[in-house]
Amino acid sequence: MITKTASAWALLGATLLGVVAVEAAAPGPTQLPAIKVGLRRITETQYRHTIADVFGPAIKVEARFEPERREEGLLALGSAMLSLTSSGFEQYFALARSISGQVLDEKGRETAVPCTPVDAAKADDACAREFLARYGELLFRRPLASAEIQSRVKTAGLGANQAGDFYAGLELALTSLLVAPDFLFRIESAEPEPADPKKFRLDAYSKAARLSFLLWDSTPDAALLAAARSGAIHSQDELEQQVERMIASPKFRDGASAFFADMFQMDGFGNLVKDPAIYPKFNQSVAESAREQMLRRTLDLLVAQQADYRDLFTSHDTFLNRSLASVYRVPYASKESWMRYELPRESERSGILTDIGFLSLHAHPGTSSPTRRGIKVLEIFMCQATPQPPANVDFSAVQDSTKGTVRGRLLDHMENEGCSGCHRRTDPLGLALEHFDGLGQLRTMENGAPIDVSAEIKDVRIEGARGVGEYLRTEPRVPACLVRNVYSYGVGEKTYGRDKAYLAVQTQAFIASGYRYPALVRQIATSPEFFQVVAPRAKPSKPIAEATVTQLQSTAE
Amino acid sequence: MKLRFDRRSVLKGMLGGSAVYVGLPVLDAFLDTNGTAFASGAPLPVRFGTYFWGLGLTDTPTGGSRWVPTKAGPGYELMPELEALAPLKDKVSVFSGFRAIGDGRANLVHWTGHASILSGIAPASASKFDAPSFDTKVADAIGTSTRFKSIDIDASVSRQPVSYSTRSGSTFASPDATPLALYHRLFGPDFQDPNSDNWKPNPSIMLRQSVLSAVTEQRHALMKGLGKDDQLKMDQYFSSVRDMENQLAVQLQRPEKAQACVVPQAPKDPTRISSVDVVNANTKVMAKLLAMGLACNQSRVFTFVHTSGASETYLAGQSKIYHQITHDEPTDAKLGYQPESSKLAGEVMKGLGVFLAELDAIKEGEGTLLDNSIVLAFSDTGYAKIHAIENIPMFLAGRAGGRHKAGQHVAGKGDSVTRVSLTAMQLAGAPIGEFGVGSMKTTHPIGEVMA
Repeated sequence: MITKTASAWALLGATLLGVVAVEAAAPGPTQLPAIKVGLRRITETQYRHTIADVFGPAIKVEARFEPERREEGLLALGSAMLSLTSSGFEQYFALARSISGQVLDEKGRETAVPCTPVDAAKADDACAREFLARYGELLFRRPLASAEIQSRVKTAGLGANQAGDFYAGLELALTSLLVAPDFLFRIESAEPEPADPKKFRLDAYSKAARLSFLLWDSTPDAALLAAARSGAIHSQDELEQQVERMIASPKFRDGASAFFADMFQMDGFGNLVKDPAIYPKFNQSVAESAREQMLRRTLDLLVAQQADYRDLFTSHDTFLNRSLASVYRVPYASKESWMRYELPRESERSGILTDIGFLSLHAHPGTSSPTRRGIKVLEIFMCQATPQPPANVDFSAVQDSTKGTVRGRLLDHMENEGCSGCHRRTDPLGLALEHFDGLGQLRTMENGAPIDVSAEIKDVRIEGARGVGEYLRTEPRVPACLVRNVYSYGVGEKTYGRDKAYLAVQTQAFIASGYRYPALVRQIATSPEFFQVVAPRAKPSKPIAEATVTQLQSTAE
Repeated sequence: MKLRFDRRSVLKGMLGGSAVYVGLPVLDAFLDTNGTAFASGAPLPVRFGTYFWGLGLTDTPTGGSRWVPTKAGPGYELMPELEALAPLKDKVSVFSGFRAIGDGRANLVHWTGHASILSGIAPASASKFDAPSFDTKVADAIGTSTRFKSIDIDASVSRQPVSYSTRSGSTFASPDATPLALYHRLFGPDFQDPNSDNWKPNPSIMLRQSVLSAVTEQRHALMKGLGKDDQLKMDQYFSSVRDMENQLAVQLQRPEKAQACVVPQAPKDPTRISSVDVVNANTKVMAKLLAMGLACNQSRVFTFVHTSGASETYLAGQSKIYHQITHDEPTDAKLGYQPESSKLAGEVMKGLGVFLAELDAIKEGEGTLLDNSIVLAFSDTGYAKIHAIENIPMFLAGRAGGRHKAGQHVAGKGDSVTRVSLTAMQLAGAPIGEFGVGSMKTTHPIGEVMA
C-alpha cells in the first residue's frame, strides 16, 4: 500500500518538477526505493556541534531548545519518539534566522560563500546554487536533490531582488535549510544488501551520520561524506580507517561528552533547585560547576587517560573550581578557573558517585533521598529499572519523622509489604551514601543522631560511599550496562533478546581491552551489527514499508 | 496547494515593488472566525484555558473532605481549602465526585488522573498520553485567528519544563517557564500593538513566508518511504510549520483594536526556588502577562501549569516536600485529616486564586476578561495520600461570555471526569460532541452549568 503511494508521489513529483535524477538516492546496484528506517530529532548538543563544525565556532547559538525525553535511560532513545511543537518550531525558526544572519554578515560572507555574485545587488542563481549544494550536504548529511536546491534558489532570488542584496536572499535560503526537517531530524535510510537482497543495510550516508553522531556528536565531515559518496564506507577496511581517524580527532571528546552526559543523566542541572534556607551554599553556578566536574572527571579518566572504566567509581582524582571548593570545603589555590584535585586517601569521597553533582541531582530541594539515589545508581550504572510505586500503598505504617534520620523512615518502608519489594533493592545503595546531604556536603549527624551508613544488598555488606564504589567496581552488570548503552545510543534503538549474543560478545571484548572506552566505541562502530537493519528480513513476503512499520512500532513500545 | 499559490502570488505582487498594501494571504482556517469575531459590534471572543496543580486536595479517611461543599447547586459554601477562591466564588463552579476510569489499566500514580481528564483515556504507560490533550482540539477550533494558537506556561520552577498539552501523546508542548520568556514570546520584537495608529505591513514577514514555502514544498518527497510512526512525527512537524505560517499571515493583517490592551513592561525573573510562595508569586506575574496577551488578541487558548503531578513544591525552609508529606503525614486523630497536607493544599490553591484574579482584573466590554473566558482547573489526583483517582477536584472558572452558569457545585457521584472536560470544550465554543474512550466515553456535558 504505502509503497504504491510512494511511487505515485515519485511520479507526480517527477512530472511536476521535472526532476529526473534524485542525487540523494543511495548509490548501489538496486533500483528499489530506499526506505527510511529511523527518524530522530537532533539534540541540543548535536545542533550546536554541527553549527560550529559547519560555520565555525564563532557563531552564537542562543535559543531555548525543545525539552528532550528519556526512554529506557537514554535521551538518545527518546529522541526517536519526538517531533516538534509549534513553540519549538518558533524557536528553531528564530535561531535559524539568527545563524544565517551571522554566517552571511559582511564579515562572514567572504569565507562562507564559495563564489562571488556577478552583481551583489541582484540575484545570482548560479552562485546561490553552489552555496546551497555545499552547505546543504553538510547540514542534511547527504547531497541535496535538485528540487531541494531549486526551491531555495528561488527563495534566494526573491529575497535578493526584493532587498537589492544577493546576500540577503542567500540568508533566507540558508534559513530554510536550517529549519528543514532533514536538518532538524536525522533521517536514516536503508537499502538492500547487494550480496543478499533480502537483507537490508543502512545506506552509505546514513552510515556516515551514524558514525559521526556517535563519535563526534556532530555532522559528518568532508572526508566521511566523501567515503559515503564513493561507497567506500561499505568496505570494512575503509570503515576501520575512518573510525580510527575519528577516535584520534579532538572531536572524539565531544562525542564522549555527549554520550556520558546522556547516560549519566546530566540534563537536570540547568533547572536544579534547592531551598536556600537549608542549603545556602547552593546557587546556579554551583549546579553548573557540579555538572562540569562530573564530565571533566569522566573525560579525563576515560578519554584522555584511556583508563579502566571501573576506576570511575573509585578514583580519587577529580577537578574543582572556586564555586565547588567552597562546597567541598577545600581551599582554592589555583589561578586557573579549574584545578586538578586529589581527594585525600582517608576521605569518604572517591569516585563519581561522591561528586556533589550526582548527590545533589538525585535528592530533594531540602533533604537527601536515599531512595532516589539508590534508584539512579541501579538505573544509570547497572541498567536496572525500578517499577513505578504501586498506587494503593498503605502508608499507615510509615510515620512522620521530623526527628531522627531518614534512614529510620526508610527502614519502615522496607518492613512494609507493599513497599519492601522495591525499597529493599533501591534503598541500601542510597543509605550507604547518607553521609552526604541533599547538596552533597559531608555530614555524619542528622537531627542530632549519628548516621549509620552500613547497608546490605542481597548477601553483600556495604560500608559507606567507598563501599558503594567498590561494589560497582566488581559488579558484572556495570560493564555490560555501558556496552548496552553505547550500542543503543548509537543505533537509536533499545535492545531486544535478539541482541543478547552480540552484546555478550561486545562485553567480553570490552573486558579484554581492560575496560577502555575508546576500544569499546571502536569495536561497536566497526561491527556490521551497528549498521544492520533488522525488520524487512523478518517478513519478506510483506511489502517493505509495511514491515518497517511493524518493526518501528515494536521499538516504540 | 491553493493556499500556497495564493500566498506566492501575493508575495510576487509585493516583491515586484508595485504594491503598497496588498490583499492579505487567505488561510482557510482564517475565514471561519476572523471575519466575524472582530467585526464591529460582534461579541467579544471567548478564551479557553486549562490550569493544573499537583497533588489534589485533602479528603478525610472517614469519608469527609476539606474541599467538597456539602450541598449541590448554586451558592455553595466555601470549604477550608477553597478559601482562596472566595472573592471569585460566583464565577467558579466546583465539580466533585468525578473519577478517572481505567477499564482495567493500572492507576499510574500522579499520571492517570490528569491524562484521563485531558486525553479521555487512561494511558498505558507513564509519561505518555494515548490520545491528544483536548486543549489542542479547542485551539484548532477557536485559536487560528490569533498570532499564537495556544500559549503554554509553566510556573512550577521544576527540574524539567512541565506541560501536559500534546498533539501526539509523546511530544509535549515546550512551555514558557519564566516570566521573561513569556514576556518575550507575547510582547517581544514581533508583537504588533493593536492600538497603534500607524500600522504598516512588514515586508520582511513575507520573505519569511518564502523561507517556509521552500520547506513545505519538499513534504511529499520527505514522507516517501517513512514508517507510520515517523509519518505521524512529520505530520506534527508540518502542523507546527503551518502554525508559523498562520502566525506570519496574522502579522500581515491590520490588527483589530483591542480596548483593554496595554503593553506591559518587561518583568524580572525570580530566583529559581520551587517553594510554594515563590511559585505563587511566579503564577501571579505570569498570569498578569498572559491576561494582557489575551486582551491584546495574541492568543485565545492557553495551558497553565502551577505545579507538576508529583510536585516538588514545599513550604520555604521545610526539608520535606509537599508530595512526601501527603504520603507520610498521619491523619490527626482529633482533627480527622492531615493538617500539614491540608495547609499546603490551601497554599497551593492560593495560586489558583491569584491566577483568576489577574484575569478578572482586566475590564473588557461590560465585564472582565475572566467573564469572557472559561478555565478548567484540575489536578492529577483526588486524595493524594492514597493516589486516589476518584473525586479529583475540578473547577470551571469564568462565565464563557455568558454561556457558563457559574457559581455552582456539581456532585458527580462517580461519573467520568471526561464529562467535565466535554463541558469545558463546549463552553469554549468548540464544536465537539463526544469525548473519551471506553467507560470514559461521553456525549453528555453537564447541562446544569450551561446556559
